[in-house]
Amino acid sequence: MKEYFSDLWLDIQKNKGAVAGLLFVLLFMILAIIAPLISVYAPDQVIEGALRLPPGSRFQEHFFILGTDDIGRDLWSRLLYGARVSLLVGLSVVFISAGIGTTLGLLSGYYGGWLDRIVIRLMDFVMALPSVLFAIVIVAVLGPGLLNAILAVSIVALPNFTRLIRAQVLAEKNKPYVQAAHLYGASSLRILFKEILPNCIAPLIVQASLGFSDGVLNCAALGFLGLGAQAPTPEWGTMLSDARSYIETSPWMVNAPGICILVVVLSFNLFGDGLRDALDPRLKNRG
Amino acid sequence: MNLLSVKNLNKSYVTKKLMGKNEERKVLSNVQFELGENKILGIVGESGCGKSTLAKVLTRLEDFQSGEITLCGQNLREIPQKNLTHLVQMVFQDPYQSLNPRKMAWEIIADPIMVVEKTPRPQAKIQALAMMAKVGLLPELSERYPHQFSGGQRQRIGIARALMLKPKILILDEPVSALDVSIQAQVLNLLLDLQKEFGLSMIFISHDLSVVKHISDETLVLYFGEVVEHGPSENVFKNPQHAYTKTLLESAP
Repeated sequence: MKEYFSDLWLDIQKNKGAVAGLLFVLLFMILAIIAPLISVYAPDQVIEGALRLPPGSRFQEHFFILGTDDIGRDLWSRLLYGARVSLLVGLSVVFISAGIGTTLGLLSGYYGGWLDRIVIRLMDFVMALPSVLFAIVIVAVLGPGLLNAILAVSIVALPNFTRLIRAQVLAEKNKPYVQAAHLYGASSLRILFKEILPNCIAPLIVQASLGFSDGVLNCAALGFLGLGAQAPTPEWGTMLSDARSYIETSPWMVNAPGICILVVVLSFNLFGDGLRDALDPRLKNRG
Repeated sequence: MNLLSVKNLNKSYVTKKLMGKNEERKVLSNVQFELGENKILGIVGESGCGKSTLAKVLTRLEDFQSGEITLCGQNLREIPQKNLTHLVQMVFQDPYQSLNPRKMAWEIIADPIMVVEKTPRPQAKIQALAMMAKVGLLPELSERYPHQFSGGQRQRIGIARALMLKPKILILDEPVSALDVSIQAQVLNLLLDLQKEFGLSMIFISHDLSVVKHISDETLVLYFGEVVEHGPSENVFKNPQHAYTKTLLESAP
C-alpha cells in the first residue's frame, strides 16, 4: 500500500494544477486550525465606531488588515473563523453523503432487484431537480440553520456517490475474484466490504474531494439566501449576503469572503481533478 | 466408488423478453461422466460449448435444470456450503481478474481458511506461507500485491488459494491459456506434482488439446453442450470416434 501511495504522489506531482490546489487546501486547513492564534479579535466582537473601514486602516489603537464590516467587526478574524465553518461544513457534507451514498450504492449494486430499482429511482428524482433549488426546498421544510443546510446539501450530493459506487459494484461483482470468494463461502457482507469496497476506493476519493467543494459552495449559497448559517456565525456565504448592500461603497466587504469561497472551491476542484487523472488507469500506464 | 458422478445434466439459460416467449438457450444437454479418486479428467471443446458453465455448475456458482450430480455419495444440491468448500475448489482462467488487486498475496491465499475455519490471522499467515512454498513461490513475496507478480506467479497464487481448504476435487478452468508456453509447462508440472502430494482429483478444462493430452487420464469432448467423445485419453487422441473430435485433432497444430 505504501508503494501505491508513493506512485500516486508521483503522478499527482506531474499535474501543476493539482499541486497548487493541494497547497491551497492545506493552507486553508492550517489557517482554520490556528484561527484563534492569528486572529486579532473574536469573530463577533464589535468595535464601537469602526464602521466599514477599508483594508489597512487604523482606528484609535486598532489596526484592521482587511477592514471592518458594517457593524464594526474585524473582517480578517471573521474570515479565519469562517474558514473553520466552511471546511467543517464541507467535511460533514462529504462524510454524510459519502457514507450514506456508498452504503446505498453497494447494496443496490450488489443485490439488484427491487431494492436497486427503488434506490435508483430515488436518486433520479434528486438529480432531476436543480441541486440548489432542491436544497432550498429541504431547508424550507426543516427550517433555516447551519445544521439543516448541511443536511440538505448532503441529500443533494447523495446521487453522485450512490451512482458511482453502484456502477463500480456492477463492474466488480462478476469478476472471478468475487466468484472465488463465493466459492470458499464468504458471506455477502464480507464480499461487499472486504472484496468489492476496497476496489471502489479510488473513484470514491476523487468524488469526495470534488464533493467537498460542491458542499462548501452549496452551503455558501444557502447562507447567502439566508437559509444557512444565521446572523452572528462567521460563515462566508452569510457574510457575502450581509455585505451585498454595501457593494458600491465598501467593495472589500464583498471581495474578501467571495475570494475565499472562490479559492477554496477552485483548489478542491483542481486537486480532485488531478487525483482523478492520477488514479485513472486509462490515462497512464502503470504495470 | 466414484468421487463425482454426473448424470443427464441439463442446463439452459433463459432470456426474459418483454414481448413474446422467453428465449431458452441450451448450454448443457445430457452431460454424463464420472470422476474417480486421483484421476484427472480433461474436458475439451471450442469456445461457447459449455465448458465454463459446467465448471460453474459443479462448484454450485450456478444452478442447473435437471439431472443428478453426486459428490462423495451426496446430492450436490444438499451438501451444506461449508462442506462443499472442502470438497470442490476452482482455479480460474484469468490470473489478472481472479485475484483481488487490493490484497496482499498471503491475504488472498489465507482468506479461505480465515473465512471457513475462522483461523486467526497470524496462524493463517503461517499456513499461507507454507502453501506458497509448495506452489513454488518465495515466501518473501507474500506481502506483494497481485500487480507486482507475473502471470505465471499469479496463477500459482490462484492454485495456492484453491488448495488451502484441502479440497478433494480441483476444477481448473483454462488455467494455463492466459500464460505463455514455457510458463504453461511449469504450471502444468506443478499441478501434476500437487495432484500426487494432495491426492487430488482434477477436472481440467481447456481448448488446448496438447495440454489436455499431456495431463489427463481421461478426456471428454464437448460439442455444443453435448458429450461427443469420452474415454481414456490415449484412445481419444489416437482413435477418435466422432467426426467433431477428428476435425478438432486435425486442426490442432
